[in-house]
Amino acid sequence: MTLAHYMGVAAALFLIGIFGALTRRNIIGILMSIELMFNAANINLAAFNRFLHPVGVTGQTLALFVITVAAAEIVVGLALLLAIYRGTNTVYAEDYNLLKG
Amino acid sequence: MIEQIIFYSLSLVAVGSALGVVLHRNAVHSSLFLGLSLAAVAGLYALLGADFLFGAQIMVYVSGIAVLVMFVVMLLGRASDLHLRQVNERWPWALLVCAVAAVGMLKIVGLFAAKTAQTSGYPATHAIGRLMLGEWLLPFEMISLVLLAALFGAVFFTRAENAQ
Repeated sequence: MTLAHYMGVAAALFLIGIFGALTRRNIIGILMSIELMFNAANINLAAFNRFLHPVGVTGQTLALFVITVAAAEIVVGLALLLAIYRGTNTVYAEDYNLLKG
Repeated sequence: MIEQIIFYSLSLVAVGSALGVVLHRNAVHSSLFLGLSLAAVAGLYALLGADFLFGAQIMVYVSGIAVLVMFVVMLLGRASDLHLRQVNERWPWALLVCAVAAVGMLKIVGLFAAKTAQTSGYPATHAIGRLMLGEWLLPFEMISLVLLAALFGAVFFTRAENAQ
């Protein structure tokens, strides 16, 4: 296994995440796609740690911080989503046009 | 040989269920696919020798975030969502963006095609603990503040409507 294998898997996950975040109409689907992108970045961090700097654990620790920030992000995002849903009664992102004036 | 089999099967599960997350029409099935994809990524961490990261991924992502997303999916939406298109009409442009990004990523991945691991993996939990409570003490405390702020934010946003 070379570093390129892991980077290839991470790139595939990241591209799928970008595609989902750009095309899903459901706002929860967009949040799930963002989680996929976080995971792709984490695979890269752990793989760089393993292949390029095996004596340290900096990459793994940074990945742990990314996991923590992702958890905070999804919690606040879902809470905001529940609050928005009470006002608009829809989960589709194109209907969230309250700020259009 | 065994490492290759494990790597390719885990990658297949991760990428395939990620496609399921993005393309599936039913949001509940999407969230189940998300849990599967995150679990496969946890397997990749284990293959990389990142044992603590493997445990954190299982505990935070698979049993925390995926379940939370599943709850919210079941709280919101209606049954009629199953018959609606779940992808917006500008998906060819998104595909173009992905293709351009893929070309750039392939160039970067090609640079590391010959990079193999020099040493075998070793348990990293002890070293991570040392790093977090030593050199990285300030970021460690900051991240706990971020978590506290997220906790208060979640409670605030879900209670503000109830008070009215």
